[in-house]
Amino acid sequence: MERQEQKQEQGQEQDKLVRMVNISKRFGAVQALKGVSVEVGRQEILGLLGDNGAGKSTLIKILAGVFPPDEGEIYFEGQKVSFSSPGEARALGIETVHQELSLVGMMSISRNFFLGREPVRRLGPFAFLDKRRMDEECRKVVTDIGVRVRSPDEYVSVLSGGERQAISIGRAMYFGAKLLLLDEPLTALSVKETRTVLSHIERAREQGASIIFITHNVYHVYPIADRFVILDKGVKLGELTRDEVTPEEIAEIIASGKMTI
Amino acid sequence: MELKRVAQNLSLPLARARRLPEFGALVAFLTLIVIFSLLSPKFFTLKNLTGIFTIVSELGIMTIGIAFLMICGEFDLSVSSVYALSGFIFVTLANQIYSPLAFLITLVVAAVIGFLNGVITLRARIPSFITTLGMMMFLRGIMLGVTGGETVVYYGDSIMPTLLSRFIGYGFRPSHIWFLALTVLFSLILTRTRYGNWVFATGGRKEVARAMGVPVERVKIINFIISAVLAALSGCIVLARFKLANASLGLGMELEAIASAVIGGTFLMGGYGTIFGAFLGASLVGMIRTGLVMAGAPAYWYRAFVGAILIIAATINLKLRRLEM
Repeated sequence: MERQEQKQEQGQEQDKLVRMVNISKRFGAVQALKGVSVEVGRQEILGLLGDNGAGKSTLIKILAGVFPPDEGEIYFEGQKVSFSSPGEARALGIETVHQELSLVGMMSISRNFFLGREPVRRLGPFAFLDKRRMDEECRKVVTDIGVRVRSPDEYVSVLSGGERQAISIGRAMYFGAKLLLLDEPLTALSVKETRTVLSHIERAREQGASIIFITHNVYHVYPIADRFVILDKGVKLGELTRDEVTPEEIAEIIASGKMTI
Repeated sequence: MELKRVAQNLSLPLARARRLPEFGALVAFLTLIVIFSLLSPKFFTLKNLTGIFTIVSELGIMTIGIAFLMICGEFDLSVSSVYALSGFIFVTLANQIYSPLAFLITLVVAAVIGFLNGVITLRARIPSFITTLGMMMFLRGIMLGVTGGETVVYYGDSIMPTLLSRFIGYGFRPSHIWFLALTVLFSLILTRTRYGNWVFATGGRKEVARAMGVPVERVKIINFIISAVLAALSGCIVLARFKLANASLGLGMELEAIASAVIGGTFLMGGYGTIFGAFLGASLVGMIRTGLVMAGAPAYWYRAFVGAILIIAATINLKLRRLEM
């Protein structure tokens, strides 16, 4: 009986895409995170909420490989992992999308799309860009996303904030992201663009990714999230599924710093 | 009616030409050639033009290096001192040993200086403007201290001088070929290779580049080295031409090179620029000096002219880019 239960638990654990267990991180005198455990299932949208300074960005950066946790473990697809660079996290399929820090405005969409992952043809010591492939693939994805540009050679700076987000998400999915980390993706977007970006996020889920959506504004993420994890001052206040709670109740929890449910 | 149609037919290719990053520099260049040719009949002669191109090549090789570095977001003010120092090292060594070996050692020393510029900037986290300003003054001071202002004469073998500067007929020199070849080479590297993409990204937004896995520090250090090595090449070329080295050689040339790069369309803040623009900028600046003298203006006006053109060109370049971006 016990072994059956154990097996069931193990099975459930392996269903989870990511498990962060008991994560702690301190920066000098500041305890950014203490004993935080968060899980994300397959094709799940998790809203990671909390006021400014709650530790949300720190948790995500640890998951993205920017720095290691002081304590705790991370399991990705059932395997224990530890990243010594963002490149390692990205290689496993963990991609971060920042509103401001994902694209270089002074470069074309095509160059941005393949930045760091350029398709090349080698000739001697030189790695020549396979421009034709870059333009073709980029054009395909951009059209697929529904962003209208004259050519992938257009500068990223001509795109609106929502379009840039859409392209960043499309780029992550093109390169096979399994887990998307979105840090305040809807800040500074218009109402229309917010709707569009939300639909792109849902599309990413349909294409097989899980998403962690960080925000301090529950109304941004509530429409599409499956579950919420609320942090406050480095500690996990609680976890709720969407049908358990209203956005106002979550906002109250964040504002008061206490689980009022 | 006809005129309107002609204007309309011209407007599309003109609009497209305007998008060329070197458009401003090209227009200025052609305009000045016409003006100088009109002001002085001897200007547009092969002898004069090749003479100008010699000066342009020496400035231009340095400008290529500086432009390449500026595009990735850093400055190198020490190029003028590396230029002069390279002349000294080359002449001192070549007077004793085989000149190609002396040349190689000189380039290696320059590479080390470039490496130091990069490492100090990145580790100490000070702006490269400051690091290279200090390096410029430091190196120049050492040269003055060691030589006491005396000139050193070249009496080594003629291999490198031939490969670098000796006339090959009709006023042409190898340095012209070096300049053209390096322009083509670095233009290809910048626009057609993966490394070039990294250079643009590093200069455009370093944090984004780093987040996408570009080795930002490595790119910067490599470009610092390239800037110094090209300055050294230029220094060896001018030494091979005059067979003399003096500690005051190239004073102020770093600013001419930066001005040339900016006139050619390179952004001061990094992230945008072309090597062909550097070529045109150096050609422009190099041409102005001779053109002014031939037009009868006192050579002292050269600096004022270049300064004015720099401001006008930078403004136009920025306005044109803003239209697209």
